[in-house]
Amino acid sequence: MLELKDLYFSVSGRDIIDGMSYTFEKGKFYSITGPNGSGKTTLAKLIMGINPVSSGSISFQGKEISSLSITERAREGIAYSFQQPARFKGITFRDLLAIAAGTDDEAMLLALLRRVGICSLSFLDNPVDAKLSGGEIKKIELATTIARNPKLAIYDEPDTGIDLWTIQPMVRLLKREQHEHGTTTVVVSHNRAFLEAADIVLMISEGKLVYKGDLTDALPMLNDLSVCNYRKCVGDKDVGCYR
Amino acid sequence: MLDAIDKDLLKKVADLEGLPKGAFNIRKNGKLLKREVSANINIESNADGSGIIVTIKPGTINESVHIPVILSLAGLYDVVYNNFIIGEGADVTIIAGCGIHCGSLEPEGHAGIHEFRVGKGAKVKYVEKHYATGPGRGRRTLNPTTKVFLEAGAAAEMELTQIGGVDEANRANEATLGPDSLLLITERVLTEGNQKAVSANTIILAGAGSRANMISRSVIKGDSEQDFYATMEALAPCFGHIECDAIIMDNGRNETVPSLKARHPDAALTHEASIGKIASDQLMKLMSLGLTYDEAVNRIIQGFLK
Ligand SMILES: Nc1ncnc2c1ncn2[C@@H]1O[C@H](COP(=O)(O)OP(=O)(O)O)[C@@H](O)[C@H]1O
Ligand SMILES: [Mg+2]
Repeated sequence: MLELKDLYFSVSGRDIIDGMSYTFEKGKFYSITGPNGSGKTTLAKLIMGINPVSSGSISFQGKEISSLSITERAREGIAYSFQQPARFKGITFRDLLAIAAGTDDEAMLLALLRRVGICSLSFLDNPVDAKLSGGEIKKIELATTIARNPKLAIYDEPDTGIDLWTIQPMVRLLKREQHEHGTTTVVVSHNRAFLEAADIVLMISEGKLVYKGDLTDALPMLNDLSVCNYRKCVGDKDVGCYR
Repeated sequence: MLDAIDKDLLKKVADLEGLPKGAFNIRKNGKLLKREVSANINIESNADGSGIIVTIKPGTINESVHIPVILSLAGLYDVVYNNFIIGEGADVTIIAGCGIHCGSLEPEGHAGIHEFRVGKGAKVKYVEKHYATGPGRGRRTLNPTTKVFLEAGAAAEMELTQIGGVDEANRANEATLGPDSLLLITERVLTEGNQKAVSANTIILAGAGSRANMISRSVIKGDSEQDFYATMEALAPCFGHIECDAIIMDNGRNETVPSLKARHPDAALTHEASIGKIASDQLMKLMSLGLTYDEAVNRIIQGFLK
């Protein structure tokens, strides 16, 4: 449903996304991991249209979207939860949720809160400003993404600032969205809980896709993260590339 | 007695459909149009007829006074001096506002000097909106001044808004705070075209335990210009905070100068100031929720000035 072909994003001669090709299948759950600065957020922003493609193509449901605006891609059914969500002055969670859902109907908004597992109704009228904690703003970010009813949902490190006890419920929520709504789900995360939940694990290093497959085969590579110098893998099971 | 233009202006500046309930005083083109007093709220013209004196009995709770001013007379510059005396322990809302409808090439303007004496433990909420409209190209000027005196334990919440269409504004707010009193000022000003607005604020925290918070939100579009000056001076142990944010669009220009003066070692004064374009991460977020660029800009400005 989403096809990346020879995708590049370059800034002043540096290829931050360095020739990526991959096809995401409809309704599957993907986790993307990889070291800091490897290009995960850049890739997500290329798909959402926040970063312009330098070369290559992105097609979504058979349609080339790389020249579409953010708005147009949103309306095609792509949603993105920012790693660092914007903070506003004078805009509440209710406002964002209403924009995302396209309705300010109270019953619909309350149903959305239930759907994303937010029990405190008063949370709705919280300003989305600098006073929110990191975990709170990430929950709002996730809720506005789900409120879009997207065909493709990309969550950029949704677990940052979230307490340990909330991570499993968050994983279950995203799995439920995947199953009940057929949402193609892409989660950028280093958290094992998300990697375990994924149908397919993708690993990015220095702007390249260096691994795609299941978690078991990725584990040696992940366990070695701290000492690992990635090189380009030759096939999925290239043991040398885990070192 | 209210024509279509009057009704539109009243709606814009005072959210009124027709005449308000309770005490009110409507001034049109420099003259009294209609006045109503209530058991607890008296309104009378001052000695030289240059304005009104609103007296609120001690202990008056949950009542409101509307005192809108409307102007639609070419060449008029209307100046009023209004006094508000708010009795001890009262809790009231005062809704002011000035609407100008300009139909010709001649200038029109209004200066309202509003003085508030808020008695011990009394609370007042003051809402003031300024707005100008009309097909005429005459210069529209609005120069509001507020002077607030808070006695011990008194509280004033001031919402001051200039919504649009005003070519020139010289805004001034002054306040002196007694012991344990509280002042909240929120000023929102939008300018566009070649409009100019200056806001000068002086807040003196004179009493121990007094607290003041001044919030200013400016949106500067087109070739317009807005300057904001705020001084907080602390004479006693107190808390004061100034927060001023300006969003610049197009070629707008802005100067923001917050100033803090501590004349007492236990004064705590802080300020935050920012001037800049709409943050791109805010725009990206709203666009990723399906809004167009223009819709996202409008939504951000609307929230910012809300
Ligand atoms: N617009 C940009 N201009 C210059 N450098 C960028 C830009 N966007 C990202 N980068 C750089 O590209 C690299 C990858 O960033 P990012 O995608 O945020 O990494 P990740 O999300 O994997 O931690 C980083 O070194 C970052 O500094
Ligand atoms: Mg990132």
